[in-house]
Amino acid sequence: MERLLSKLLPLSIYNELYKVCNFNELSEIRLRVGKPVYYSLIGRYQKLGGEMFVSSGEIGEILSRATKSSLYAYNTNIVDGYITYDGGIRIGITGEGVMKGGSLCAVKNITSLCIRIPHYIEIHDRRIDNIIKNFRNTLIISKPGYGKTTLLRYMIRRLSEEGYNVLVLDERGELSGISDGKQTINLGDCTDVALGIPKISAYASQVRSMRPDIIATDEIFGEKEIECIADCVRCGVKIIATVHSDDPASLKRSRVYSKLLDNIGYMVSIVGIGNIDKVIDIRQ
Amino acid sequence: MLKLAIGGILCFISAYLGIIGKSYYDKRYRYLSDFNDFLLLLIDGISYAKDRLPEITKKYIASSKGEFSRNLNNYIVVIESTQEKEKISKCFDSKYLKKIDKAYLSEFFTALGKFDYDTQLSRLNLCKAEMEKTLIKAEKDCKSTGNLLSKLGLLLGIAIMIILA
Repeated sequence: MERLLSKLLPLSIYNELYKVCNFNELSEIRLRVGKPVYYSLIGRYQKLGGEMFVSSGEIGEILSRATKSSLYAYNTNIVDGYITYDGGIRIGITGEGVMKGGSLCAVKNITSLCIRIPHYIEIHDRRIDNIIKNFRNTLIISKPGYGKTTLLRYMIRRLSEEGYNVLVLDERGELSGISDGKQTINLGDCTDVALGIPKISAYASQVRSMRPDIIATDEIFGEKEIECIADCVRCGVKIIATVHSDDPASLKRSRVYSKLLDNIGYMVSIVGIGNIDKVIDIRQ
Repeated sequence: MLKLAIGGILCFISAYLGIIGKSYYDKRYRYLSDFNDFLLLLIDGISYAKDRLPEITKKYIASSKGEFSRNLNNYIVVIESTQEKEKISKCFDSKYLKKIDKAYLSEFFTALGKFDYDTQLSRLNLCKAEMEKTLIKAEKDCKSTGNLLSKLGLLLGIAIMIILA
């Protein structure tokens, strides 16, 4: 990860980061034009260097490196607000939108970047072991940045090691960290990754072509995706997914997301960074 | 005898200079022709699979030799570390290119990869159309001026030898 960040960040920022933080604990770097750099170590934000302010040139440099000087290949991603760099590093982008025919066609004058660094962590929790052994459809919920994706990665690998054919729908390249066709995060030997394919079309096409036992996906969003999941479950494919939510109760109250719970066996709720709060067996 | 020997040497030098003159035009044509091949590969790679610039470039370098290929290799190293126009321009500072060629290549490679898909493709197609014209002219230069220089060199050499003899 240290090597990847050295290739991505301008030297001045990388050197400052190198002085003050342990890259294994680094989870996020936030850059805003004209403002200091902030970084997050295990969820705690800190300011980098006293007099260091981000210039628009530095933002451009990072974007150029992240897109490998090939902006044309990332235009759709930029419009969606992110670029995925090597190793599953996801760069959130915001700036000035350019509209065409009523829809967003480009983002210019990019002013803020949020670089999120993925981690693979072994999670030793009896409740998670129990889910793996008696696997049923599982939903991981928490607020953003609490470690849903990290837990999902761990569970994908464990399920793969148990012999399940796991199909990862990795639209943003964040789960598998695939770069130039090589997987940089080990998700197990029985895992297939559908990278960069829009999830809505991947549910139907990949279920037919790859015949997975389990589909794993990050950040379920919207009614359409929930319908796709219901279809997959009906076809006998199991699901493991994450969703942004404050707590299980708010999910139950939501008109859209409560439908999702009809198909779920376990719900894992995370409160605080990497702190598994509850594992709810929905059937009980 | 001495005069004949000196005449022979001067004839050789003159003919050699003529060949160098011709080789300048040959190499310029080869360089621009290689650039044109790269351009076609770029258009293919981008329009079909939106392949990234380093991938396309490495593919080209693996299948091609010559000065343009070497310069392209330097270019890839440079853009991985910086986006400075001067450093990018230096990559294509070949002695076989005219000032106008260098300026064109510098502009092209500095802007390459900085546009969205549609704009990038239309720019590449525009460049391809311009290169077709440039190549025709370079080939013509190669055949007319290049051949003329080599013949002139040889003739001048023979003339010097005759005068000295």
